[in-house]
This record gives sequence, C-alpha cells and structure tokens, in this order.
Amino acid sequence: MNKPLLQVENLGVCFHTDNGTVNAVNGVSFQLEAGETLGIVGESGSGKSVTNLAIMGLIPSPPGEITSGEVRFRGEDLLTMDSQHIREIRGNKIAMIFQDPMTALNPFLTVEEQLTEVTQLHLGHSRREARAHAIDMLEKVGIPAASRRIDEYPHQFSGGMRQRVMIAMALSCKPDILIADEPTTALDVTIQAQILELMSELQHQEGTAIIFITHDLGVVANTCHRVMVMYAGKPVEKATTREIFASPHHPYSLGLLNSALRWDESHGGMLRAIPGQPPDLTQLGDGCAFAPRCEYCVDACETAVPPLISVDKNQTREHACIQDLPSIRQTEVDV
Amino acid sequence: MFAFLLRRLGWAILTVWIVYTVTFFLMRSVPGGPFDGERQLPEEVERNLLEKYNLNDPVHIQYFNGIRDIVANPIGEKFGPSIRLADYNVDEVIAQGFPVSASLGIFAMVFALLLGMTSGVISAIKRNSALDVGFMAAATLGISVPSFVLASVAVIVFVFWIPIFPAAGWGELSQILLPALCLGAPFAGYIARLTRTGMLEVLGQDYIRTAYAKGLATRRVVVRHALRGAILPVVSYLGPAVAGILTGSLIVERIFYLPGMGSHFIEAALQRDYPLAMGMVLVYTCLLYVMNTLVDISYGVIDPRVKVE
Repeated sequence: MNKPLLQVENLGVCFHTDNGTVNAVNGVSFQLEAGETLGIVGESGSGKSVTNLAIMGLIPSPPGEITSGEVRFRGEDLLTMDSQHIREIRGNKIAMIFQDPMTALNPFLTVEEQLTEVTQLHLGHSRREARAHAIDMLEKVGIPAASRRIDEYPHQFSGGMRQRVMIAMALSCKPDILIADEPTTALDVTIQAQILELMSELQHQEGTAIIFITHDLGVVANTCHRVMVMYAGKPVEKATTREIFASPHHPYSLGLLNSALRWDESHGGMLRAIPGQPPDLTQLGDGCAFAPRCEYCVDACETAVPPLISVDKNQTREHACIQDLPSIRQTEVDV
Repeated sequence: MFAFLLRRLGWAILTVWIVYTVTFFLMRSVPGGPFDGERQLPEEVERNLLEKYNLNDPVHIQYFNGIRDIVANPIGEKFGPSIRLADYNVDEVIAQGFPVSASLGIFAMVFALLLGMTSGVISAIKRNSALDVGFMAAATLGISVPSFVLASVAVIVFVFWIPIFPAAGWGELSQILLPALCLGAPFAGYIARLTRTGMLEVLGQDYIRTAYAKGLATRRVVVRHALRGAILPVVSYLGPAVAGILTGSLIVERIFYLPGMGSHFIEAALQRDYPLAMGMVLVYTCLLYVMNTLVDISYGVIDPRVKVE
C-alpha cells in the first residue's frame, strides 16, 4: 500500500499557563494524500490551528509542549527531527499561509525582500534569479504590474492583494503541502471567492496538497475533498465532503451545518446556533466533551469519552459518538 | 524632503530666537552683575568695563544689538568677548570646547547604543534566563546611579585600584574612554530596557511567525525581521537621550577635568558672563534641534509607513 504524504498519529499538544495546563490538542490522527484538499473544521479553540502549527514545528516552547504523537512527512517524523533539518522542510516542502494578511507580512520589508528570501534560502537562487522568480509568482497569483509592485511595501497593497502575496510566497518553492489557516476569514466575500478560486487553480497546476483550516462550511463545500471536524482538541468526525453534508454522524457536525447558510435548504428565516460555549480546555471531564451542549446526549455520554469508530468497511468514514445519529434523525422525521 | 528641511529650518530660526529672548531676559533679571565682587570697584573702572562690553546701553538696545550681531554674522564671530575669560572671544571658547564635548558625547552615545541594544536583544531572546535577569539588573543600576557617583567610583576602581586609565586630561583615546563610559551608562541601561520591550513585542507579531514558517533560522528572523521594529522606541528616545547626554556632560567634564564646554557653561552662569552664557545656550539649542530633526528623518527611513512631512 502506498504511504500517505503526511500522516499524523495521536498528536497531543498542551500549553502550560498560569491558569493550569491547557490541553489544546488531544490525540489527533489523520492523513493527507498528495494533491488532495483536507478541510479541518471547528470553532475557535478547537485545536485546528495548533494542530497545524505543531506539524510545522512552530509551537512556542515554553509555554507549549508536544505531549504525544508522530507527524510523518514522507516517512520521516517531523516532531523528532533536528532543527536544521526541519527548517529545510519549512517553507520549502510544507508552506503555510495565515489568517490575517494585514499582520502576517512584515511591514518593514518590501515585497521583494520577503519573497526572494525563501527561494534564496531553499532553492539557492541568486538575487537576480530570485527576483525574476518572485515576479513570475506575483503574476501567477494575479497581481497586476508585478515587476513594479514588487518593490513596494505591504501597506501599499489591499487586503486581498496581500493575501495573494502570501500565497505567492508560500508557493514559491513548489511545496508538497500548503497549510492554509483560515486564509479568507479576514477578507470580504467577493475577495474570498477570488482567493479560493486562485488556490484551487494553483493546486491543479502544481499538484499541491492543501490542508484547509476554517470554520466556514461554505468554503469547505467549495474546496475540500475530505473533512475532519474537530471539537475540544479531538477529531469528532472524518468523512468526505459529500458525505458530511449529506448525513453528519456527529451531533457537533450537525450543529455546524445547521448554523451555516445553505442555498439548497430553507431555514424558515432563522439559523440555529449551537447552544452553550466550547469547554474549558484546562479541565476536561471524563465524558464526551460535547455532551453538555448536545441535544442527543444520554447518560452514557458523560461517563466515558467515545472513541473514533469507523462507519463503513473501508474506514474512510469515522465518528466519535455512541449514538446512531442518522437513524435518530430519521425517526424524528417519521414522527 | 526638501520642503521638510526648509520648514524645519524656519522653525529652527524661530526656536533660536525664542531661546535667545528667554535666556537674555532671564539672565538680566537675576540679581547681580558680572563685575560684582566682594571688593567694590571704583566707579570709573566699572564704567569703563561696562563700556568695553557694551553693558551700559539700555537693556532693549543690548537685546537688539545681540540679535544684530548674530544675524549679521551667522558663521563668524557673533557673541563678542567673554567677560570671565577676558582674552578670548566667546566664539573662540566655543570653537575650542565644542570638539571636546562633541567627541565625548558621540563616544558616550555610541557606547550606550551598542551596549544597550545588544544586551536588550539578548535579554528578549533569552527571556527569563539568568543572562536576561543579569542584564536588566545592570540596566536598572545604570539608570538609577547618578553619573557623578558612577564617575567617582570609576575613578577609584580604574585609576587607583586597577590603574588602566588616566584620571584626567584630554587628547588620547584612553583619556576619553572612562568619562564616555560614565556618561553613557544610564543611557545604555535605558536603551537596553527599551530594546528588550520592543523586541518582545515584535517577536509576538504574526509576521515573525511567517518568517519562521519560511524556514529561516532564528538569527536571521531576529536580525532581518524583528530588529527594525524593535528599535523604533529606541529611535524616539534618542532625542531626549541627546539632551540628557549634553546636560550630563557638564558634570562628567568637571569630574575628569576635560576642556569641554560644560565647565564654561556653569561658570558663565554663576559669574553672570552674559555673552558666554548666551553662546553656550544657543550652541546647545542648535545641537538639540539638529539631533531631533535627524531622529525624525531616521524614523521615516526605518519604518516605510511613516512619511516625513
């Protein structure tokens, strides 16, 4: 069997703070094949960003600590790799773009300086080669008059243009994996659509695998092949995009779907929010972390954490709920 | 940029005029005069002396004559003879003392910047380490110990106990080092604290995470991505720091017997040497003004978002 491009096994990350230990990520496993797009979905604080920072080795330590797990990229464990070696992978084989392009670019350096240093470092470009390559990349991401604008500073670009610069920077070395941490959240909707289109276009050209972190299910529906839903630092459901929209197996996934706008469904004018707040990650109880907010909760939910179980034989679909959500909903409809 | 400098020049002239006026009337309003002493001078002698220095004119005539001399001759002699140093013109006194005070000030400033910024950056990167605690303790000590105490201790230690520096005098590198260190120490401490704070703030920014995500080594992230943002507070502190070094040099020059302008400044004020005191005040005014303008310009050079206007 072919090895996946990236395999995350039982990853655990915690942060030691004055208010106790925050268990941000508690046993996350997933895999990513070359060229595919995986969506990681969840509320703020569900551990989706921390998971990916851990993959990049960018968890600040202290206060952060990786407590368990393996992150295998082409068979090598990134977590135990020495710092020299992982720097050669960062920005080169695995690149990242961030949520807010206003703050993620350095305001003191020109776009050229920020773009060329990646390729000079990883591809050994000379200054001139790096500049030519940077202009190419800027043109590819749709920045007009790239050869002139490359000498400008980030504050001279609009938000959408800055995110294009970030994408150009991340894709400069043709990475195998692009981690996009809410790349469209800070942009307005028309720009969002353009950026998403650009990303999928470039993915087709370059064959880059993308991990798409978002809380916007609309974005997931448009871009992702598979989805992993996270809650309180754990995956609660993994499925293909089609499956999860058709029939969510975890009440939290259902809650997310119900609280998002869908063009193919009428909500009678109201969106349904998930009641309550995400749990305090310093003190997780014995039971299912979602139980206090779950309308399908039974006594057994509060005594033991439900494990991830496969739904079908191929194990492409997993969920962590002891209830059989689709059949419960079926009976609700029948009644 | 040219318009900026021109406007700055206009403000400079206004500033110098205001400082001249305030200084002139403050000096004249202080009781006593240049020739008052324990021994009463004969009336004719005093009258001749006053005449020699044009001090028997009415005050407003003296005021306008002073301005006329400066405006008519901005490069050459403009302050007339000193009273205390009877054989010298004030301009000559400044020409002799200025290079001494300026080199002392520049040495002190460079020392303060080098030591302050280096230790500040190291402290920020190795936050809460023994090195950080040590540097910041030293910085606090440097800020809180007055320069005359520091200078006296330095003389005891480095001149008498470990004789590696001369106690006083001027002309050799070894003679400038000790006073420059004593003069620069509090500023080094302050700059260290500012750099550390600025660095810590910048290191928490998103664009630093971006830089690490590119695979850059820590050293390069700090030097290329973080340092410029981190020293902005230091740059804004440079204006007041120069003022502090100027006034601080009055004391340090005294302790180390340096032939700078500082001692003339104090003596001129105490002995009502009107022309000399005026000359000193105006030199310091211009110096401060130039330094503040340089700081404003360098702000625009460091931060591209700042436009110098």
